[in-house]
Amino acid sequence: MAKTDLKFGKKLKKYGAIDFNACYNCGTCTAVCDLANKDVSFPRNMVRASVLGTSEDVKSSLKPWLCYYCGECTTFCPQEAKPGELMMSLRRYLTSRYDWTGLSGVFYRNTVAYIIGFLLIIAGVLGLYFSNIFDQEEMMHYGHYFEMFAIAGVFAFILLPNIIRMWKYTVWDTVKFFNIKVYFGSLKELLVHMFTQKRTLSCGTERENKVWWIQHLVLVIGYMSLLVITVFLDWFSTDYMVVNLAGYLVSFFIFAITFLFIIKRVKKKDEKTTFSHPSDWFFVIWLFFMGFSAFLVRIFVDLDILENNFWMYLFHIIILVQWALIIVPFGKWTHFLYRSFAMYFDDIVTKANK
Amino acid sequence: MKTKIGVYICHCGGNISDYVDVEKVKEAVAKEDGVLMSRTTVFACADSSQNEMIADIKENNIEALVVASCSPKLHLPTFQAVAERAGLNKFNYVHANIREQVSWPHSDDKEGATAKAIQIVRAAIAKVRLSEAIEPVEIKTQQSVLVIGAGVAGMKAATSLSKMGIKVHLVEKEHFIGGRISHWDVLCTTDETGKELVTRLYNEIITDKNITLYTGTELVESAGSKGDFKAKLKVTPRYVKDMCDKDALAKAIDVCPVEVKDEFNFNITTRKAIYHNFPSEYPQAAVIDMKNCTRCGECEKICKFIDLNQQEENVEIRVGTILVATGFDPYTPQSSEFGYDVIDNVITLPQFKRLVANSDKELVWNNKKINSISYIYCVGSRQPEGENKYCSRYCCTTTIYSAIKTAEKFAGINQYHITRGVRTYGKQEALYFKALKSGQVFLQSADDDLPKVESKNNQTIVKVNDVLTNKQNIEIETDLVVLVTGMVPRKNANISEILKIPKGRDSFYNEIHMKLRPVETVIDGVTIAGASQGPKNVVESINSALSAAIKSYSFVCNDTLMVEPLVAEIDSDLCTWCGDCQDICEFDAISKVQLDGKDVAQVNFSVCKGCGHCLPVCKTNAIQLKNFSDDEVEHMIDVLANEI
Repeated sequence: MAKTDLKFGKKLKKYGAIDFNACYNCGTCTAVCDLANKDVSFPRNMVRASVLGTSEDVKSSLKPWLCYYCGECTTFCPQEAKPGELMMSLRRYLTSRYDWTGLSGVFYRNTVAYIIGFLLIIAGVLGLYFSNIFDQEEMMHYGHYFEMFAIAGVFAFILLPNIIRMWKYTVWDTVKFFNIKVYFGSLKELLVHMFTQKRTLSCGTERENKVWWIQHLVLVIGYMSLLVITVFLDWFSTDYMVVNLAGYLVSFFIFAITFLFIIKRVKKKDEKTTFSHPSDWFFVIWLFFMGFSAFLVRIFVDLDILENNFWMYLFHIIILVQWALIIVPFGKWTHFLYRSFAMYFDDIVTKANK
Repeated sequence: MKTKIGVYICHCGGNISDYVDVEKVKEAVAKEDGVLMSRTTVFACADSSQNEMIADIKENNIEALVVASCSPKLHLPTFQAVAERAGLNKFNYVHANIREQVSWPHSDDKEGATAKAIQIVRAAIAKVRLSEAIEPVEIKTQQSVLVIGAGVAGMKAATSLSKMGIKVHLVEKEHFIGGRISHWDVLCTTDETGKELVTRLYNEIITDKNITLYTGTELVESAGSKGDFKAKLKVTPRYVKDMCDKDALAKAIDVCPVEVKDEFNFNITTRKAIYHNFPSEYPQAAVIDMKNCTRCGECEKICKFIDLNQQEENVEIRVGTILVATGFDPYTPQSSEFGYDVIDNVITLPQFKRLVANSDKELVWNNKKINSISYIYCVGSRQPEGENKYCSRYCCTTTIYSAIKTAEKFAGINQYHITRGVRTYGKQEALYFKALKSGQVFLQSADDDLPKVESKNNQTIVKVNDVLTNKQNIEIETDLVVLVTGMVPRKNANISEILKIPKGRDSFYNEIHMKLRPVETVIDGVTIAGASQGPKNVVESINSALSAAIKSYSFVCNDTLMVEPLVAEIDSDLCTWCGDCQDICEFDAISKVQLDGKDVAQVNFSVCKGCGHCLPVCKTNAIQLKNFSDDEVEHMIDVLANEI
């Protein structure tokens, strides 16, 4: 039994969904999807749940995370209902459902909220700097501390509880299953998908998807390396040549690849980059500035001109704080976790059903 | 007895001659009694062969002709025409089928095939030997048409016939013309209202001198046949004179104490026993509904134009043909079918359409504002259990169109369509797309698992096991349930009894052949049009009406009409009148007449179909079928039973 609720469809439109109502249930989208199979079938049934407004069915489903958006469903849809973009919107919707603070939903639904958040952070950072609480050296010192605490805090208070909520909705509420052995055994899925995104390789048949996978993989590895290099190896203050060069390399990868991604979204040549939600723009642009500003900061350090051009560091730290306090916990960054946990939970659910 | 018979054996370019030894057949049949000439030909149907045959017949004074070739379905008329062109009667020609019946099925046995071909040709010779010339029957025609039903189909047929110079008697049972479309507001896909269409057609009809319109009139008797029908009409008075003072009439309606359900609004409103015409109804004159009037006389006192003493009249007319366009009734759901009659916010589609047409700013039912509507499709159509197996064709489109118009008229209404598969065929598909895009929701129930309508705590709920959602049980909370009722034949048993029009399994009138003779009935001279024949939308109704008009015209455009002479004949010497033949005749072709002081049967040639049903029931063997007499058939059997 499920009740219809047409408000749900209207709500989804705020998360970026368009035209999905036009679906006449032919199932072409599911038929052309390379990732759907007879056991895990999508996206038609997700379009259907969105049309009917059976939001509980969406909430308990992992399917939006199992879609890697090659966009072939949208290409072949005879009704131009854009199922691919609906799946993307459902991921945004689910992100806000998992988030206990409710802030994800606020940011996704209102771009203004994003901008206010960003402005508040700019004001805070500049306020701290100009209030003379810190001098330049201290600012960098605390900036480094902030990174560590932000990572730990966001993970402990936001991301971990949200993943537990995701588990509750998709595993516990659906199959009521807990078995240490299975949960431990399935961990492999989590790690493999988190660090390889190998599912992308079977998503879509176009060569571009393979190229995209390599770019994305380099970006993920680069991003995590930069995290380690700046936070734990203290790149901006290090004297080790190897660490320093590694920092340059990975930050270059980050801004180069995100630059390509931004260009793609501007050109709108394929389905996945045609419809960009504000959260998509913020994600790629901020990641680009993160890599680029880190790169410049270290150049300034190496050229010994940072002291006279401290605005560079301030710019970098503003981007970093905005990233760490808004985009990571409440924005698109979370797909990194939810996608790999979805593979993990899906494996558990499959085993539970057996 | 024909003694100069010509026989042609066709090769059919090898189709026959590859398996049948045509030379042997030719020689074998040449010895038959009366055969003057026996020949083979490569293609009998070729123009040059036909001309040779005509020359042969004329040169040799041939009296009768046999061509052994393909199926008579293909070339019987061809060689009948050859016979006629050569100066013979077409019934002195007999066709022998040695392709479909011999060469093709027996391609594995040439000898057997040849022997069979010889027998078949001999039998044909046996028949042609006894054949008689038969002349067609000529009937004097009435150059006028009776059109029954002044709905969109009847009116369009009437104007079309009139334009071809034919007099039309247009008869409408109701006091107002327009039929079903007069009820409807905007119609897809032109967005014209029913009123606009009716007004346009009515103006054409009343200004047309060829058309006589009878309202409140029914056909009560019909005699005669194609070319000359005598029809008796019963005309019910309006009880209100044509020239009428509007104010006085309004007061008279006011004082009428009788209030009945208004059928024009499908019983969702009431009217008085004396009622004024509706905005879309013509003629624009009031009428008293005598079924409900108590004859209290209150109205008569107020309005001098009212006359309760007007009497019914009988009118007799003679017409050449009858065109029946009596339309449909919307299906009335059974009590408690999807909550109908039981739950008070369950209504039918026609009622809903009247409700929308009558509502202005808000859509209100039972004093409650409507925020959500569920349409349940195929009610009374495509019934898995009931009688109506057919699809009513118009309902999917009209429902979706109504839903779109409802959304345009009243903002913020959620609309759910519970279909059994959407059939908005042709251009109408665009409406379906529009409804989908605007966020209307379509669900689908399985044929054997129909939706349920329930009422809980003043909330109506529709439960569907939605085929499109893996048969998940979906609950829809709704303010109004609209049952999308299909079409059923009009309740006017009289007309089909009077005219003897056969009905199909769906109880609608039946045409002779769905594709090839789509508006004719087996009753010669009676055509059908519009939804009386089966569910149709306005466009399809008008198409069939125009087609029936042309067909009717072909019956009456000349002074006289030739009728196929293949009919039963009574030998009055042998007939002792038992009445068995009259009883078995489906077409009322046989009647009892006095002849030399004796009761005998007589066949009405223009009605008889030559079906032969009366032959075997005749105890004295007094009936013979022309062109299929006992002698002819027995002679053929003798030949077939005795090989050479």
